[in-house]
Amino acid sequence: MSGSRRQFLAGAGVCACCLPAFASAKVLDTGIEAVIGPGYEPIDQDERGMWQSLERLEEAIRTSPKRLDAPKFDAYTRGVVERLVQRPVPDLRIYVIHDAAFNAAMFPNGMMVVNTGLAVRIRNEAQFAAVLGHEAGHYFRRHQITQYRSVRRKAAASAFFGTLTAIAGVGLAGSMVDVALLSSMYSFSRTQETEADAFGIKLMARANYSPSAASEVWKQVIEERKASAKLNDKKYKDASKSAFSTHPATDERMVDLKETAAKLAEGGNFSDHRDEWVAITQEHMPKLLEEQINLNDAGASLYIIENLAQDGWTGLLRYGEGEIYRLRAGEGDADKAAAAYATAITLPDAPSEAWRANGYALLKAGKTEEGRASLNKYLELNPGAKDAGMVRYTLTQ
Amino acid sequence: MPLAAVLLLCVGCVSTATTQKTSTGYKPPSGNYKVIVMRPDIAASVLTAGGQLEQREDWTNQARENVLDALRAQQELRGGQATVTVTSGDDPALRDLNRLHEVVGQSILLHKYNPMAQLPTKKTSFDWTLGKLATDFGKSAGYDYALFLFARDSFSSGGRVALQGIGMLGCIVGVCILPPGGSQQAFASLVDLKSGNVIWFNYNASAMGDIRTPAGAAELVNRLLEPMNTEPKAKKKT
Repeated sequence: MSGSRRQFLAGAGVCACCLPAFASAKVLDTGIEAVIGPGYEPIDQDERGMWQSLERLEEAIRTSPKRLDAPKFDAYTRGVVERLVQRPVPDLRIYVIHDAAFNAAMFPNGMMVVNTGLAVRIRNEAQFAAVLGHEAGHYFRRHQITQYRSVRRKAAASAFFGTLTAIAGVGLAGSMVDVALLSSMYSFSRTQETEADAFGIKLMARANYSPSAASEVWKQVIEERKASAKLNDKKYKDASKSAFSTHPATDERMVDLKETAAKLAEGGNFSDHRDEWVAITQEHMPKLLEEQINLNDAGASLYIIENLAQDGWTGLLRYGEGEIYRLRAGEGDADKAAAAYATAITLPDAPSEAWRANGYALLKAGKTEEGRASLNKYLELNPGAKDAGMVRYTLTQ
Repeated sequence: MPLAAVLLLCVGCVSTATTQKTSTGYKPPSGNYKVIVMRPDIAASVLTAGGQLEQREDWTNQARENVLDALRAQQELRGGQATVTVTSGDDPALRDLNRLHEVVGQSILLHKYNPMAQLPTKKTSFDWTLGKLATDFGKSAGYDYALFLFARDSFSSGGRVALQGIGMLGCIVGVCILPPGGSQQAFASLVDLKSGNVIWFNYNASAMGDIRTPAGAAELVNRLLEPMNTEPKAKKKT
């Protein structure tokens, strides 16, 4: 049922020339409420069928080897949603999946999928809450079934009108109506996305999360895409600017959310809860960064790391920076990588791999003694490493 | 409902197509053997006026029960010691096998039954396998064969029938637009758990039949599985 899948981001590129759209910024209507309560079960046949058709998919996701094995992070994610909606959410099932793409998806039956690629781009709990609040909005406002019914109605209208006009010999009229109906389907979808944005940001403010975190997330997305485009020497444009996009234009969303946040933030006492986010995610961060870095999109990866480093450089981030350059292996990248590794090992939380990488980089540069010392430090920190034998062999040379 | 009667006649014109595929040297299972019938993948839907398939929970549940009953009855007629097992999907051994077959079964359907999607290396051969996963399962669970079944059945909504009616009226003035009605698509495959290979496969598409009724489910199961019992005739190369 791909039609029921709601994506937080449609995978759009963004160009700098789109930015003048700022003038149209509007404050979102944050007066909307949830339309379903705890323990909601559908009654109507179409909605029951929709839920049933998702059973196999959910079973596959639940038992997927791609799931992040992290019960604590699962519970934490649930906790953030509960804080947002201010009640327990036994009706939501949350699955974190290893996927480096920036995405989260809410299914109509209460299944929520969060990609690791989302977590790796997030700086604090408030930003995480911005995404979860948006996704929860689709569920609590029953967007999927409403959308499905609207499409069903319009497809039927199109079928009848198309048949009648074809019989009457005015087939062209039928296809014009088709285009209008199709465009209205997408417009309906964009309206729902805007509603989910509004619902999410309202929940954030109510739960004392900095509401500005929502527009920050979009700002990061836009900047990351630009950085990626620049280093790949490509021109990007925002695919969500089309009349046939399911999502509103990324820059417009960012600005609307920013305006709305400014209004909501008046006189409030908000926090971004960064410490909680770091405490729960730090054990997973090495793996999440590795997934991103292995995409070998240096522009995006460097942006992500530098964005996270706004809260302070860590040994892990510096090591990641070195890995990005090492993987890209362009002109001068070896030196940049070596510099990053050398900085990484001066930081208290450097992963043991940083010592190994630093060691090899030094050996390559002819600094034998320092290189050997760094490799020895790696073995000392990680005596059971899979490649310990190989490193010991290097040391005998 | 004269209109519906006219439509039924028309739908009746569409033939039922069944074509089985077998691995080289296929011999129907015989003697004393054990078959595990995996959880059949069944759904029954409404075909809306606009052409969407809308799954119906009550129909699907009914169809699933009917197909299971029909499978039990059909397998009991075979001499072997057949066991019908319904799995929830959470038993890891069955779960992985089910999922692997889902992919392999759909690949066979695509590449063997769609002439546009033939694979150059598999034009004349039929050598799909579930590999070690299947042989390991057969060994540990003590089964000789695993049987998989997939079925989708759909039925026109009132709106769809009305749309077809308008299309039929168009035929009178010479503009014939006949949107298709509900239909049935199903396939079954037999995996030899000693080799892990898919040794027999059958696909059936029909504009008739109704797996929401016990008789309709029995008819589908028999039509789909009956050819399994006969050794394919040696075919001349065409």
